Amino acid sequence: MLKVKDLTVKYHPHSGAAKYHSHHDHITVLDRVNLQLNPGEKLGLVGESGSGKTSLALSLVGMCEGQVQGSIKYKGEELLEKTPQQWGRIRGSRISMVRQQSGEMLTPNLPLLEQVMEPYLKDYPGQKEEARRRASTLLQKVGLESSYFQRYPYTLSGGEVQRSLIAMALVSDPELLILDEPVSSLDALTRSDILSLLDEVTREQNYSVLVISHDLDTVARLADRTAVLYCGALMEAGDTKEVLQDPRHPYTRSLVRAYPTLEGIKELQGIRGEFPPPDNRPGGCPFHPRCTQPLEICAHKRPRADIIENNRLLSCHRGGVIELLRCRGVTQRFKLEATAKSSVSFGKSTAKKQLSLEAVKGVDLNLHEGEVYALLGESGSGKTTLGRILAGVDRPCSGEIHFRGNNINRLSPKESKKTRRYLQMLFQNAGEALSHRMAVFDLVAEPLIIQEIGNHQSRKEAVNRALQWVHLPVDEDFLHRYPHHLSGGELQRVALARALVLQPKVLVADEPSASLDASVQAKIVKLLLQLQNERGFTLVLITHDLALAARAGDRVGIMHEGKIVEEGPASRILRHPQHPYSKALLQAASSSLFTSSPQKAHRGGFSVSFPV
Amino acid sequence: MHVNYWTELKKDRKGRTGLYMIGFLLVVALGAAWIAPYDPWAHVASPLSPPSWKHPLGVNDVGQDILSELIYGARTTLLVSVIASAASTLLSLGMGVMAGLFRGVPERIVMRLVDVMLIIPVFLVALLVAAYVNPGAFTLILMLSLLMWAPGARIIRTQVLSLKWQGHFTAARQFGAGTGYLVRHHLVPELYPLLAVNFIQVVRRAVFMKAGLAFLGVFDPAQKSWGLMIHYAREFVFTGAWQWWLLPPAVAVSFTIIAFALVGYSLESALDPRLQKGSTG
Repeated sequence: MLKVKDLTVKYHPHSGAAKYHSHHDHITVLDRVNLQLNPGEKLGLVGESGSGKTSLALSLVGMCEGQVQGSIKYKGEELLEKTPQQWGRIRGSRISMVRQQSGEMLTPNLPLLEQVMEPYLKDYPGQKEEARRRASTLLQKVGLESSYFQRYPYTLSGGEVQRSLIAMALVSDPELLILDEPVSSLDALTRSDILSLLDEVTREQNYSVLVISHDLDTVARLADRTAVLYCGALMEAGDTKEVLQDPRHPYTRSLVRAYPTLEGIKELQGIRGEFPPPDNRPGGCPFHPRCTQPLEICAHKRPRADIIENNRLLSCHRGGVIELLRCRGVTQRFKLEATAKSSVSFGKSTAKKQLSLEAVKGVDLNLHEGEVYALLGESGSGKTTLGRILAGVDRPCSGEIHFRGNNINRLSPKESKKTRRYLQMLFQNAGEALSHRMAVFDLVAEPLIIQEIGNHQSRKEAVNRALQWVHLPVDEDFLHRYPHHLSGGELQRVALARALVLQPKVLVADEPSASLDASVQAKIVKLLLQLQNERGFTLVLITHDLALAARAGDRVGIMHEGKIVEEGPASRILRHPQHPYSKALLQAASSSLFTSSPQKAHRGGFSVSFPV
Repeated sequence: MHVNYWTELKKDRKGRTGLYMIGFLLVVALGAAWIAPYDPWAHVASPLSPPSWKHPLGVNDVGQDILSELIYGARTTLLVSVIASAASTLLSLGMGVMAGLFRGVPERIVMRLVDVMLIIPVFLVALLVAAYVNPGAFTLILMLSLLMWAPGARIIRTQVLSLKWQGHFTAARQFGAGTGYLVRHHLVPELYPLLAVNFIQVVRRAVFMKAGLAFLGVFDPAQKSWGLMIHYAREFVFTGAWQWWLLPPAVAVSFTIIAFALVGYSLESALDPRLQKGSTG
């Protein structure tokens, strides 16, 4: 029904609409946007403020003040060629719009009913009776009783104004309804009421709807399909549920992660970097400076929007958030030789039994670019063993680990060394991982020296940078201190700086805070998460602390006896655990710190056993 | 964890004494040409003259000044034993690290070799070899270093086995470090104290063995050596010459061995906290 093709909107910097002055000739607000809306479909358009949502909406009703290029085809007619007179006939009767902050759209000196009648009278002059009938039906439908009909706008509350505007938009029975931030200035209860109302009305009449909002919740409630806009470019589009629950584009994922919900337990994280001002938009993919997985091409070439499976539209050179690490059937067995050999025997009288412990039993795991994966489990569940395998420290007995598609245990020594750079591990005991014969500078520079990166000068700068990331001093005195001069928190920070100086893609942090006291613990974890967000690496957080896993992880995997028994988004796992072990773990973990009667923890029949 | 061995050594009375003694020996050996009153090879007086103001320790059977012989003897003794000990320690290091890092075939070969070396009576082999080969300083150094590496290699292997699972090894490997880097930057520095002790102890043994071999006549007779001096002096014990000819080299050998032994013990106790006394003294 509505087909938007290569829609580009530019403003001249000195025209009223552009708030920013620049030396550029014009500011591109929308850049080659393609959209399609079928009859009866409800399309959501999400984006941060400044992403060009409103310019798009205004273009659709011919009210955009900028220079509009491309094509907007509405039922086969090219809208961009219409004269203002023709637009007048389209607006209201065929395409109708509820605008953002729209209290100003009501004339202060007309009673409500007459205001609502007005658009209809404009299209069908003289049909006053019909207009009155329609207006009063609609007003009642949106919840405004006849007592409201003669009231003036200034006596209405925000919610009532919004309701009447909806009625006004619907009075001439349009085919397409554009809702531009329909509820963003309302309080939560009113917002919810209005949203239900809109949902009900649009479904009843089978309107085609375009919902534009920065609020994910609004879009989620009204739209069947959702498109995500960033800096005037379309990033991703698809079924609303799928887009919001399983975002594929790095931007969408960051957006969802930054959005506060009651369901989510995870600490809020902003999107790294700054939203670019309209007069200084990055070339290529507009998101590339803030993306965690940019390629060189991303800075030069706009990615094409391609349809991937399920009618999902994605414009990303990398095909969306990529899978960094994939492991299949990873198993690790430890021989318990000591037990077998300790009994001194002569001859062959005692059969040599090969005792072994399976610490990890056939684990499958996928890690995506830039996510935080919390690996949760009690001690002895095999999480450290798995972490070491993921980071490439140990080789598994069987199973495969692929990093960017290459099996890391089957690389040539040269490639293997190169891969090491991207897979880093933060060991449980930082003090042990640092050679006591090296000073801080040598410790942090060591990875660079091993990897043969840079010269002395550039290494010095890299070390300073890494130390600043972890909030450690960079003065000469500190650089020449030895590990035994440092506190536990400082040691952990030095270890972190060491891991980060190589700018890894994956960091496996094994109980990074377990050996520290509570206040330092919180600082380290906070720092780790903040760095994860800023630097954009994938973090595997190994912990036995359920609360920590919930606050830090995008996804949580629960490990029990060498297997990942449950895996999923943190909020789901912690609210609706499926596996009996997860349930037992949750029950045991409910902190007794702030409850008056501490409950005895039940292990629920689960225990760790060693096959000895 | 961090012990400054040099300071520890200087703080300990035994260590300090040993250091002074070694220092004295070094001065004598290095300055032999200036200190010695005569050329030790020259015939300067009538044979077997007793001590006098001109010849404080008398003159030997061919008319050479005994004091000068003694002074030049310190030079050979220190040279041979220090070089032999350094070579042997390096050999121990190489073998020990190999056995410790590469488990399996290399380890088995090295360790069986060590077992063999420990069984072999060192003196006997040295005597046999010397009977066939020209027993100069170089041969002696080669022989001593080949015969004395085994105990050190065993100790170093054990140490490597426990060191290689330490966190900072794993961490360095995680950064992509190869075996060469690990050995150079992580393993050997950790072994420094062990190597130092080993070196000192081997020097002590080398001094003793070198003197013993020379005493048995297994040394180049043209060079000056305490062992050789004892060897020749022994034939004249029936005269009174032994008092000034036999005793001084014997005392010099003991002095050297005691010097290195003192430093060795002191180092060992500095390294092993269990041997440290409550107070330094």
